[in-house]
Amino acid sequence: MDAKLKETILNPIFKGNPITVLVLGICSSLAVTVTLKGALVMTLSVIVVCGISSLILSLLRNTIPGRVRIIVQLVVVAMMVILVDQVLKSFEATYAIDKQLSVYIGLIITNCIVMGRIEAFALGNKPWPSFLDGVANGAGYGLILLIVAFFRELLGSGTLFGFDVLNRFGYVPNNLVILPPFALILLGCIVWVQRGIQKDLQEK
Amino acid sequence: MNTNNNVYTVIYTTVIVVLVAALLAFVSQSLKAKQEANEKADTISQMLTAAGYATKADLEKLGNTAVLAKYDEEIDEAFVIDLNGKKLRELEGNDVYSPKQLKRQNYNIKGGPNKTGEPEIPVFIFKNGRTVVPIYGAGLWGPIWGYISFNPDHATMGGAYFDHESETAGLGAKIKDDPSFQAEFVGEKAHFADANVIEIVKGGAPKDAQGKSVVDNKIDAITGATMTSNGLDAAIDTWLAAYAKYFLGLTKCECEED
Repeated sequence: MDAKLKETILNPIFKGNPITVLVLGICSSLAVTVTLKGALVMTLSVIVVCGISSLILSLLRNTIPGRVRIIVQLVVVAMMVILVDQVLKSFEATYAIDKQLSVYIGLIITNCIVMGRIEAFALGNKPWPSFLDGVANGAGYGLILLIVAFFRELLGSGTLFGFDVLNRFGYVPNNLVILPPFALILLGCIVWVQRGIQKDLQEK
Repeated sequence: MNTNNNVYTVIYTTVIVVLVAALLAFVSQSLKAKQEANEKADTISQMLTAAGYATKADLEKLGNTAVLAKYDEEIDEAFVIDLNGKKLRELEGNDVYSPKQLKRQNYNIKGGPNKTGEPEIPVFIFKNGRTVVPIYGAGLWGPIWGYISFNPDHATMGGAYFDHESETAGLGAKIKDDPSFQAEFVGEKAHFADANVIEIVKGGAPKDAQGKSVVDNKIDAITGATMTSNGLDAAIDTWLAAYAKYFLGLTKCECEED
């Protein structure tokens, strides 16, 4: 694997993370991080949507009329989102979790990461790197989601993936952690840590 | 090729939209049966939970086929009644009212511009003697619905299960996720003759000196989810009032026998 491709994959995970560095996709990271299970399904859904839409639009990139390119992107992304939602609803194993995430699966379309990466990367690159870029950005988004969800579920419900962890020791779940503002506080802490490690992100 | 030409742009967008629409229509049609089966099994497991057969989580682990089999095994009678408690028709072959049907009946009960006909509300009698009836209403963000079971005395509640579309996780969603909230309904009595059949209020029922509840139809509301609690209260009152004549009729007959 050449260095450029490796950079495409690794950059969105940490150095150019879509949530903490590009500050995209904040809204859903507040909404679906109450439980780890929800965050995991959301992560996988975004990876699929992001990867495949980037692939399709990269394949079409030379044929798309410039003036309507955003609309074409929208149509493809919306299609992928509906497909993911329909498939999640069809399997016994994922039906309950789809019900729990309800509107947020549909709202993946408004996740700026998806359209942002298509506009910034897929329309100017070959299909394979575009696919990897989409998947890597979805994964970078998901990583933050899972970190936030880990703390919110642990402190807010005393469980992890639904299994009791803290409650058996007499822990009283903290309701504040369940509320969306706490996701912002956690997110702020993650950005803080990242800026501490990655000095070039700090403003002079 | 000039991709900025008007004709090209119009043809291109038309083709892509038609293709996507066709694909989605095909997928939606081919997955419909599976999705409906999931929804039905979900509804049935909610009723079985309310009737006290198992917890919702355990039923989900069983899988759709086992849940349907359990329902077939345990259901005694399932029929539809009108607001006077008159039996209209039997519900055949696993016909359980889906949330969509409940929504329609909710409009019919409440009247108003969305009314499509006379209310036809379902009653499910299980072999353990409990009668399960649905409720439906509005939460804070979207619809909420659920099932309440009554013991053979037709007044004491044997269990309840509630579900919602988009209540806040950790707050309003507790009507579904918090077993201790649902457990509060067990043993309480529905006052069918009153306007407030069951009340969901802050603090629950007032207690006497011994710490025993002095009223038997008050449920402690969920902290931080006042709107959802009020919505659930209204949904329960509306629906149980619709069943009032049916249940009062049953208890009256027993009184006369005495």
